[in-house]
Amino acid sequence: MSADLGPEPRHQPSVLPYAEAAELARRHGMTQVAVRPSLGGYVREIWRYRHLMWSLAKGEVVSQHRDNYLGILWSVINPILLGVAYYLIFGVLLGLDRDVDNFVAFLTVGLFTFSFISATLTSGARSLLGNVGMMRSLAFPRVLLPVVKVISEFVNNIPAFLVLVLIALITKEPVTWEWLLFPVALLIVVVMGLGISMLISRAVHNVRDLANIVPLITRLLRYVSGVFFSIQVRFASIDDAPRWVGLLLEYQPVAVSLTLVRETLLQGFELRWQTWVVAAGWAVVLFVSGFIVFWRGEGTYGRA
Amino acid sequence: MAGPEDAGGRTAATPTTEDERVPSVIVSHVDIRYRIYGSPKRPEETDEEGAVRRLLSRGGQAGLGVQEVHAVKDVSFVAYRGESIGIIGRNGSGKSTLLRSVAGLVPPSSGTIWLGGRAALLGVNAVLQKKLSGRDNIWIGAQALGLTPAQVRRRMDDIIDFADIGDFIDLPMSSYSSGMAARLRFAISTAVVPDILIVDEALATGDEHFRARATERIEEIREQAGTVFIVAHSRKRINQLCTRVLWMDDGRLLGDGRPSVVNGLYGRKYGRHRQVWKERYEQIERVMSEQGPEAARELLRRWEPEGNW
Repeated sequence: MSADLGPEPRHQPSVLPYAEAAELARRHGMTQVAVRPSLGGYVREIWRYRHLMWSLAKGEVVSQHRDNYLGILWSVINPILLGVAYYLIFGVLLGLDRDVDNFVAFLTVGLFTFSFISATLTSGARSLLGNVGMMRSLAFPRVLLPVVKVISEFVNNIPAFLVLVLIALITKEPVTWEWLLFPVALLIVVVMGLGISMLISRAVHNVRDLANIVPLITRLLRYVSGVFFSIQVRFASIDDAPRWVGLLLEYQPVAVSLTLVRETLLQGFELRWQTWVVAAGWAVVLFVSGFIVFWRGEGTYGRA
Repeated sequence: MAGPEDAGGRTAATPTTEDERVPSVIVSHVDIRYRIYGSPKRPEETDEEGAVRRLLSRGGQAGLGVQEVHAVKDVSFVAYRGESIGIIGRNGSGKSTLLRSVAGLVPPSSGTIWLGGRAALLGVNAVLQKKLSGRDNIWIGAQALGLTPAQVRRRMDDIIDFADIGDFIDLPMSSYSSGMAARLRFAISTAVVPDILIVDEALATGDEHFRARATERIEEIREQAGTVFIVAHSRKRINQLCTRVLWMDDGRLLGDGRPSVVNGLYGRKYGRHRQVWKERYEQIERVMSEQGPEAARELLRRWEPEGNW
């Protein structure tokens, strides 16, 4: 009985010892809150919440485009303006357009695909911390948050991807059966993006200072991944560079994604099985590891 | 065991009462700690003046580091079906945090919570998507509560009717008044009758008419063998709605029992006569240390004749 506590011991709430509480819960078949479900249970739970996923993704897209007059048109205008700027700077000013045959198509495919990848990185990093309010109001599998970000970014970029086809037509790329692989290539990139987004969202949730490094990483990736130059051509012009460095640059996830998409639309890039195997491999590895890493943190999100 | 009736001491669990009452929430030794970023601890400046000074003198080491806030400290209780439980306590005493944990929204740092059924939280603080329309938010909220698209479509009109916000339903939430937003949240959360309903100060907003309907709705849910938790600042509302009250103070659970009893305890610490009670407690402590427990008990009997000392 202490003066600052107020009530005397007579009114102190009685406490059930933990073992008894657990026994009581077990007897009445109660479920424990905020525990990580089994991996299979988690997948089933996500399946049960699939409709919520679409609603959230739709809401994300709508709220991104609600605040301006042109709305979703901006997702076409923006990349085109960016493409023009890049063309003038890197193509004309720095003369990188000698690297490849159809530089305009080469550049725009790289740029638009990269824009999607970098958007998944940036919004994936914010997906948990930016939604703490929602996490504290609604209960659903938290993996939906990074996943929804990727889906909505992809939907945002669909107009841009259609513009790519248009640019390929305008720049007189021959229409071939290979064009049918264009959506398949994008799908592989999306799966990769899902993995990256899940990985980075958990990392940033645990150590939120990492969010400050994400812009730096995306910028670095933009410059090393061959968005506006051909890694092969540039690398060949460096004397006695070790070969493995070239392979690393060419086959890291982002660079290989750009090559993958280019191979479907551009005649200058032949379909190579190496590209597809490596890209699909990255997609599977990133997606599976991302999902498992995120799942292992389920039950801790929302407290930070 | 820690039921509303036996507010006194620990009584052994008797199987008969266990069979009659079905527990819906068991909270066992729950601690919740928050990480707060960029606010180094300065214990000497806890008053408002200190806060202002802190804002003005930003720079130097201010804005660096991580601080941990211990919002809920070793709280345990068992709630049963059919109870409506009020939670009282001053601002920042951990009421909302505890209830969010019960709803499965904020994972506890340690300790365990078991639920017998589905919990739904509704509160004025619940964040809906401000840029989306009320209708979009109903879709998101109702699906998060576990409704299928077909069920949402069927109940959409009911929800809109109950929220009573007219044509605003298709405008972004950012254009809503706080009362409208609160009504919409209430309508969404009660679209599904949850086994455990948690009402976080939602009844403070809204007009008289809405409050009456909300009370009715809460009563309805309670009758369907659910458990209702209500956070409210008005002690009058608590007395009206609740059969049991938990008192949270500085993260600890200080009282658990019938509304009149717990409200009385609360009043001793924060009520009009708190000074009197403080002196009495001090006197008891003095007597306890000088003359032993028997004399202290004698003193308590004088102040509270009906107590079983």
